[in-house]
Amino acid sequence: MELPKEKLLEMYKTMVAIRGFEESLADAVTDGTLPGFVHLGVGQEAVHVGVCSGLRSTDWISSTHRDHGMILARGADIKRMRAEIFGKATGYCKGKGGSMHLAAFDKRAPGCNGILGPSQTINNGIALALKKEGAGNIAAVIFGDGAAHRGEFHEALNLAACWKLPALAICVNNQFAISTCVDDVCAVEDIAARAAAYGIPGLVADGNDVMAVYEAVSETAKSIREGKGPALIELKTSRWRGHFEGDPQPYRTPEQILEDKKKDPIARFAGQLLEQGVATEVTLQALKKEADQELQEAIDFTDRSAYPSEEEMFTDLFYEEGRNV
Amino acid sequence: MKPVGIIANPASGKDIRRLVAYGSVFDNNEKVNIVRRVILGLDSLGVRNVFFMPDFYGIGIRAMDGLDVSLEVCFLQMEPEGTQDDSTRAAQLMNELGVACIITLGGDGTNRAVAKTCRNTPVLPISTGTNNVFPAVVEGTLAGIAAGVTALNSASDPSFVKRVPRLEIRRSAQLVDMALVDVVVSEAGFIASRALWDVSKIREIFLARAEPENIGFSSIGGLLCGLTSDSGKGVHIIIGEGNCRVKAPIAPGLIRTVPIKQFRVFEPGEEIPISQTPAMIAVDGERELVVKQGDRLSVALNLEGPRVVDIALALRQASDKGLFFEPQ
Repeated sequence: MELPKEKLLEMYKTMVAIRGFEESLADAVTDGTLPGFVHLGVGQEAVHVGVCSGLRSTDWISSTHRDHGMILARGADIKRMRAEIFGKATGYCKGKGGSMHLAAFDKRAPGCNGILGPSQTINNGIALALKKEGAGNIAAVIFGDGAAHRGEFHEALNLAACWKLPALAICVNNQFAISTCVDDVCAVEDIAARAAAYGIPGLVADGNDVMAVYEAVSETAKSIREGKGPALIELKTSRWRGHFEGDPQPYRTPEQILEDKKKDPIARFAGQLLEQGVATEVTLQALKKEADQELQEAIDFTDRSAYPSEEEMFTDLFYEEGRNV
Repeated sequence: MKPVGIIANPASGKDIRRLVAYGSVFDNNEKVNIVRRVILGLDSLGVRNVFFMPDFYGIGIRAMDGLDVSLEVCFLQMEPEGTQDDSTRAAQLMNELGVACIITLGGDGTNRAVAKTCRNTPVLPISTGTNNVFPAVVEGTLAGIAAGVTALNSASDPSFVKRVPRLEIRRSAQLVDMALVDVVVSEAGFIASRALWDVSKIREIFLARAEPENIGFSSIGGLLCGLTSDSGKGVHIIIGEGNCRVKAPIAPGLIRTVPIKQFRVFEPGEEIPISQTPAMIAVDGERELVVKQGDRLSVALNLEGPRVVDIALALRQASDKGLFFEPQ
């Protein structure tokens, strides 16, 4: 359960890197250099880093369209990440996945899904394969509070429980499904309480505390690895920006956003590291500087990279006989 | 008749011990049901006013929805923050309002939060948490009736209200924190998911309660010393090889062999220093306090803890006095 100092500092740096990466994307949307829909998870860094730190590198994980943080926390190459989002040929999916459909198979992140809900049923398929493989790996899937109100949520939990799949469902409750507040559409206070209906463990953790997330995920993953079947974790957090970049957010007040920002997961973790004597202010500043430098290198890499050629338009789109994806 | 306060913690009974142990899930809808039965019990004895702690889920609002009772409810004027401080602030307000007693729905942690500020107001605890030593597993209807009995007797000093001890964590004689059941010193680095379940990380334990029938870390002392709930003594245990081993239920379904280096019963007022730093201190089951290297903290037992309603005794005394007889 306890993590070495190096790992804790790496987690902090990853959180800072994700924040910087996403804020740079917001700037790019604003200045018009990044077209299309971009969904940012600024304020949810503890979720992504805590979840990925609690899993093994041999586990699988998929997510939603708010996926940049998860893929980066999984250890993906920041240059290829940024290039992908900007549609460059050097990106993870040769520029054809973009922000909403990132995949990094080398990091066992098989795909993020802009259609919310089905990712859980897809995850059951991965979990079934892992169960048959028998190597003790698990399949985790991240989805939001909105997806938890869809039928697939219940169908997937039910089947995962019936088949005792090594599946971990992680509901990131950031309070809003696009513009709908969870309080207005959820009959129970905790989405995790729904786990009881399928006879599986369900627990709530503070999604703004990276160590709480890490502990919840690592302990749950351990239980799943022991063959005890699937589980549901609900991470309560908030997103600081709109559903998408450009969302005017008429559904919440600036004061509410300010309140959410008071729970800044990065500042909180920094405070914990300082209090524990794991790091000094100088160490934390140096880690931020490193992250900023790596981001700048990713920006330069993306700018230098070419768009995919016309001939690439229809490659990698359909199943090809004999090709093992 | 004095009003009665109700503090129902919407966060109790949901922590990681549902996973790492076999703790039952206490859904808020069940808390609503319990509160309904409490209200019906209070109403049956003629309690006129009830104060609720407001919470995000609206346990009180939902409990009153469609309930046919004569009493009036009022929600405290406070903004809930969704933290344990809500219970602490609510208890303070209820004490200032002069309630006859505060009914709590939660675990040891909830009652600790209430005990910080309830002062002389009796607490009537109903268990809805995990490792519960302080609150009783009791039917809500009976708890409501017992609270009504307390309200009827609030002008006197009824013998069914008993003062219980508390553990005080002190730094240079200054009170830093308190616990109703246990103070556990561990090597855990972060507060994280708050609960403690890994025995290998625990260094020492201080207990205000050590009965063999308890669950949680209190059970270790209970199995070693077997004190009674009114013993007025504490137990200090140093974890490690050397003396003996005890098989104890440290959480629901989690029975662990705990190595005991040394243990002893201690008297109220005796200050015992926390032997190793840095450390993480858990109070009543929740990691709460980071102790830095060289920080000199001590633990002492104070018999002047909160006043608690003995539900069974309250009902028996009321029955003996014929309170429940009605004229034909």
